[in-house]
Amino acid sequence: MRNYLLIYVNGRRHQISGERCFQSLSDFLRHDLGLVGTKVVCAEGDCGSCSVLVGRFRNNKLEFEGLDSCIQYLYQLDCTHVISVEGLKQDNQIHPVQQAMVDAMGSQCGYCTPGFVMSMAAMLETKESLTRLSIQDGLTGNLCRCTGYEQIIEAALTLPKLSKASSVMQLPSKIFNQNLVVEDFKKHASEPLLCEYVENWNGETNRARIFVPSRIKEAIEFKQKYKNVTVVAGGTDISVQINKQYIEPKCVMSLTNLKKLNFIEVKNSKVKVGANVTWTKLGEFCKQKLPELSEIISLFASRQIRNAGTLAGNIANASPIADSLPFLHVIDAEIELSGNKGKRWININKFFLAYKKTEMKPSELITSVRWNLPDSSDILKLYKVSKRKDLDISTFTAGIMLRVKHGKVKKARLAYGGVGPIVLRLPETEKFIENNPVTESVFQQAGRIASDEISPISDVRASTNYRKQLAENILIKFFHECCNNYQDKKEAA
Amino acid sequence: MKSLTKRPEKKSPATSEIKGKIAMEDRTLSKNSLYLEIFNQPELDLNKSKLVGKQIPHDSALGHVTGEALFVDDITPTKNELIVDFISSPVAHGKIKSLNSKELAQQDGIAGVYTHTDIPGKNFYGPVVQDEPILAKDFVQYVGQPIAIIAGESNKAIREAKKKLKLSIKELKPVFTVDEAIFAKQFIGEKRTFKQGDFEKAWRESENILKGTFLCNGQEQFYLESQAALANPEENGDIHIHSSTQNPSELQTVVAEALGIGNHQVVCVCKRMGGGFGGKETQAAIPAVMAALVASKTGRTARVAYTKDDDMRCTGKRHPYKIHYKAAFTSKGEITGVKFDIFSNGGAAADLSSSVLERTLFHSDNAYYIPNLIFNGVVCKTNFPPNTAFRGFGGPQGMANIENVIQEIAIFLKKDALEIRRLNCYANRGRNITPYGQVVKNHILPEILDQLAKTSQYKKRIKQVEEFNRKSQTHLRGLALTPMKFGISFTTTFLNQGNALVNIYRDGTVQVSTGGTEMGQGLNTKIRQLVADEFAISYHDVKLMITSTEKNNNTPPTAASASTDLNGVAAVNACRKIRSNLCVVASNYFENQVGGLMSSAKQICFENNSVFDKRNRKNKLSFKKLVQLAFMERVSMGERGFYKTPEIEFNRDTEKGKPFFYYTMGASVSEVLIDRFTGQLSLERSDLLMDIGESINPGIDRGQIIGGFIQGLGWVTNEELRYSDKGELLSFSPTTYKIPNIQDIPDIFNVETITNPYHQINIRRSKAVGEPPLMLCLSVWVAVKHALSSVQKGKCPKLNLPATAEEILSRLTELKTQAKENVTKHGAEKESEVVLISQNELTFKNKQAA
Repeated sequence: MRNYLLIYVNGRRHQISGERCFQSLSDFLRHDLGLVGTKVVCAEGDCGSCSVLVGRFRNNKLEFEGLDSCIQYLYQLDCTHVISVEGLKQDNQIHPVQQAMVDAMGSQCGYCTPGFVMSMAAMLETKESLTRLSIQDGLTGNLCRCTGYEQIIEAALTLPKLSKASSVMQLPSKIFNQNLVVEDFKKHASEPLLCEYVENWNGETNRARIFVPSRIKEAIEFKQKYKNVTVVAGGTDISVQINKQYIEPKCVMSLTNLKKLNFIEVKNSKVKVGANVTWTKLGEFCKQKLPELSEIISLFASRQIRNAGTLAGNIANASPIADSLPFLHVIDAEIELSGNKGKRWININKFFLAYKKTEMKPSELITSVRWNLPDSSDILKLYKVSKRKDLDISTFTAGIMLRVKHGKVKKARLAYGGVGPIVLRLPETEKFIENNPVTESVFQQAGRIASDEISPISDVRASTNYRKQLAENILIKFFHECCNNYQDKKEAA
Repeated sequence: MKSLTKRPEKKSPATSEIKGKIAMEDRTLSKNSLYLEIFNQPELDLNKSKLVGKQIPHDSALGHVTGEALFVDDITPTKNELIVDFISSPVAHGKIKSLNSKELAQQDGIAGVYTHTDIPGKNFYGPVVQDEPILAKDFVQYVGQPIAIIAGESNKAIREAKKKLKLSIKELKPVFTVDEAIFAKQFIGEKRTFKQGDFEKAWRESENILKGTFLCNGQEQFYLESQAALANPEENGDIHIHSSTQNPSELQTVVAEALGIGNHQVVCVCKRMGGGFGGKETQAAIPAVMAALVASKTGRTARVAYTKDDDMRCTGKRHPYKIHYKAAFTSKGEITGVKFDIFSNGGAAADLSSSVLERTLFHSDNAYYIPNLIFNGVVCKTNFPPNTAFRGFGGPQGMANIENVIQEIAIFLKKDALEIRRLNCYANRGRNITPYGQVVKNHILPEILDQLAKTSQYKKRIKQVEEFNRKSQTHLRGLALTPMKFGISFTTTFLNQGNALVNIYRDGTVQVSTGGTEMGQGLNTKIRQLVADEFAISYHDVKLMITSTEKNNNTPPTAASASTDLNGVAAVNACRKIRSNLCVVASNYFENQVGGLMSSAKQICFENNSVFDKRNRKNKLSFKKLVQLAFMERVSMGERGFYKTPEIEFNRDTEKGKPFFYYTMGASVSEVLIDRFTGQLSLERSDLLMDIGESINPGIDRGQIIGGFIQGLGWVTNEELRYSDKGELLSFSPTTYKIPNIQDIPDIFNVETITNPYHQINIRRSKAVGEPPLMLCLSVWVAVKHALSSVQKGKCPKLNLPATAEEILSRLTELKTQAKENVTKHGAEKESEVVLISQNELTFKNKQAA
């Protein structure tokens, strides 16, 4: 068993053990390594000032993606190669991405700039074409208060030209020789690791441990042994709690090296998604098969968050405003729970018991999620209402799935989020819609029933009234967006 | 797709001709005043300027993109350094009963815990009135108010120690809204009144009148670098402070007074800020004192860096306003009278609130001539963090007032709003006196409105929008064009001064120091350009040095958009002094070199890294050689320059005068799309047009215009400060406080500048550009109001600012269900209301009653 984390930073190898494993990547960069180009503003993954490139060992090579280093703790980054903004400048030569930002006047105060540079560098790594739209998507996770973004977009737009001019624009990851790194990771990733340390403060002693299993079996055994273990995959929520609410998990299991949980399977219109699949990978998969879900994924999270967070984490976190849940509820998804006695499947509609309480036993681990793809005669629509359109926690979410035949609703499934302690199905409203014709007045009435069926709270994001109004209006909106067309299409046909 | 027209580089032959003429005049003109010194000196080479007017990347751009540009918290810690944090009030109003500071100080890794009793000097500070405690004494007045400083070896040590905190506070009744403050008679400073003509008469005699109440809410600065300071103790009790501050001189004074030492014992420096926007004009002081006190008590370097959450919770913001308004107008739409009763929510201490309110009064006319008016304003004292400066400094709220009124006049008269705006716009001759007596001169406001209406195809689009709103069942559109006129100069006249230090070294390179601070606005870049041009040397041979009170004393804050105006001229004045010394050296040199040439300093010309005598252009001396020569001749090559803005004065007793040197103006037109079911808004297109004079650096100015507009966009749409009923800020980090992100910028975005031939003053005929573009955002808010006005014809929608999706949907629902109009609901400050009354109806009602 290994007792240290292995992380490369800008080509340099670091073995980290003991208390140092319990820090965020941004703290490690800034404090331990003195790489202060990486800035921390919000410490909650919302502003992107701390963006770095992280290369993970997948499919026998290092795949580099942008991540928010403030909510990536080192135990999530075993066997990764981190490139910080300092890594882009080599031999006194700045990278074309940096030059583009200089020339286009893309920086004003400069505090967000290293983050923008790294997010642009990440876009080069994924080799997508740089259009205005793709640049906006790639930089959604980076806030700037000075520039109004226009000159940053212009900087990014000059990049393809730059690459032509210099014939080979060096990819940031290519600055470093990755072959030796890959060999090192191959050796290390298959070995589980356990880091422990004892801390002493004001007369109190605490023992803390981190476990990074390399096999599912080891993970389940560890969960069996330590019931209070905090399981971390993307860590996009737990790390925020550590940073902000000062929770101090004393026993952490990181799933980062469980390669077997990183899969998406499709068989006979049945989809199965492993617990380690990130939003990025799921979003790519959904583009063709489930455009509605793909759209929601691109709205609710920035690149940096999508590259870290997982579907399984979204479920395990059990938040009533988790953005995937309305979809999973109306599609009747099933969750695979693995424990020492084997596996069991549970329908998501029965999984959540109360606020942040689920059917999962302390010894169990979510290993995958599966569902049937909707029928061609099904209408599926997902809604997310938030203060800001992109990268904002939802005020209200909705999943609506209807099966319509001959102008009549045969089957209706509705799930609302943000209106109660858990995501709610709306049985009264569903019952009302079923067997009714698809007309505006039906949906207006349904809206009023739905609004009465829930009792949301007022909080920082919205008032009760607004949420109730949305609950009503969203069904009318749905009618106008989906059913009007549906009718038209049928009539045209 | 997007079309964003880049501003073409300016090469106006007309202006260089004018400059050429000045160049031929005699030098004796320069003795009148400092102002004349710069504008009337022979401008030997300005028409051959190399750098001013060019787009040159930001002074620190390379450092920004590589991460090498250091901010306070990036400075490598010294051995033995302490981390400073604070213990703050959990309640909005209360009496402190006890705090276990002694026990906390004994915890592992804690070096000290300090309360107000540990402050050796003054515990109170403030830019206008010294009423704000650095550490709460006896009473706490807002959630987040610092009560004690805690210094530790590590963040972890402080966090662990805070677990042992025992703080006992007796809660007292807080005051949050201006209505509550009015009831409790809690005010800050005096009520101010601007008057012109006879409003009451206009109101009585007008064909049409309307009145209402309007709420304009606050905004968090959201600079990305939170407040931070690093203090080093030095010998003899001296203190050296690195601070992220817009105001090193004030900070020097506050620290000296708090520590009970002389100003000369404190050096405050600021290399750069990660954004300021006004939030670091006064409020950088408390963290700086925290660090300085710890350094002074422990003899160790001490650093404080607020977390974003703490920063948002405990520092002041843009002032929320409540305005009661009355307007009288003709059926044609001409405004005959306006009355505003303006209540500003100042928070718990004076800070800059009275100056901010003053600027609101100065801008409640925006771009319109109002013959009869009364603007009353007063600041209310409440239990929130003291509200403070924020880009626009009260101007945005003032302009929102009048733009709201004008839109309502248009709705009421069923006329196009632009027509009303154009009708009331300030003219160049007549109809150009502001409520405070200053004449609006040398402007092109009508031209700006007309040009923008034309280039944005306003007329065609307003028809399309109305057509769309008649047809669409799912969405609404709104379109509005609003002007903006912003006065440049501190309205507190004595602040309009600046000084600069220019040192030339023996290799011909130059260091420049000014009292201006760099927060991203490009001040240092512009000054580099100005200084390089003075000597006709390369941009790279000039370097802007860290802002330090050691080099520049008694400087005003970097604020009011005027920092290039003040510090730029001061730097140029310093250069002129050195240049006249160098001219003597050069002329003597040429006399010796060229037979028959009498030495005449007046004939020396600086061009292209060298100097020559105009009578013998072939014989050149490189700038480097000239400097070496001057050194050998024992000539001073380091000078200080000073500047004060000329011609400005304002009398606060009569409320009349000429407070502004000039105005920066512009206009914008925005089109919004609103989802009828969710209230969500998207900004489809914005066109901006500004008169910013002759730009010193078009790239930087373009960034200021776009950045200011987008920051304003946040204020009028999604940035919502939500508080609990206990006065705790709930939206205290970007998860819940949503500033615009890259997806929120308009789909079509045209940004242009316009040439103003009448503008002949200020440094290189430039204009200040920092704050004004923020107020272009009002077109977006007004466009929402326009969209809502089409829901129920003839019904004037109420609308608060910001227009969040929730606000918009509730207004839509209200309009549709025709809810009780004009009734003030519970929690008065949550509501805007508007009453439209025509004079005839009112008379009629009165008759009936009789």
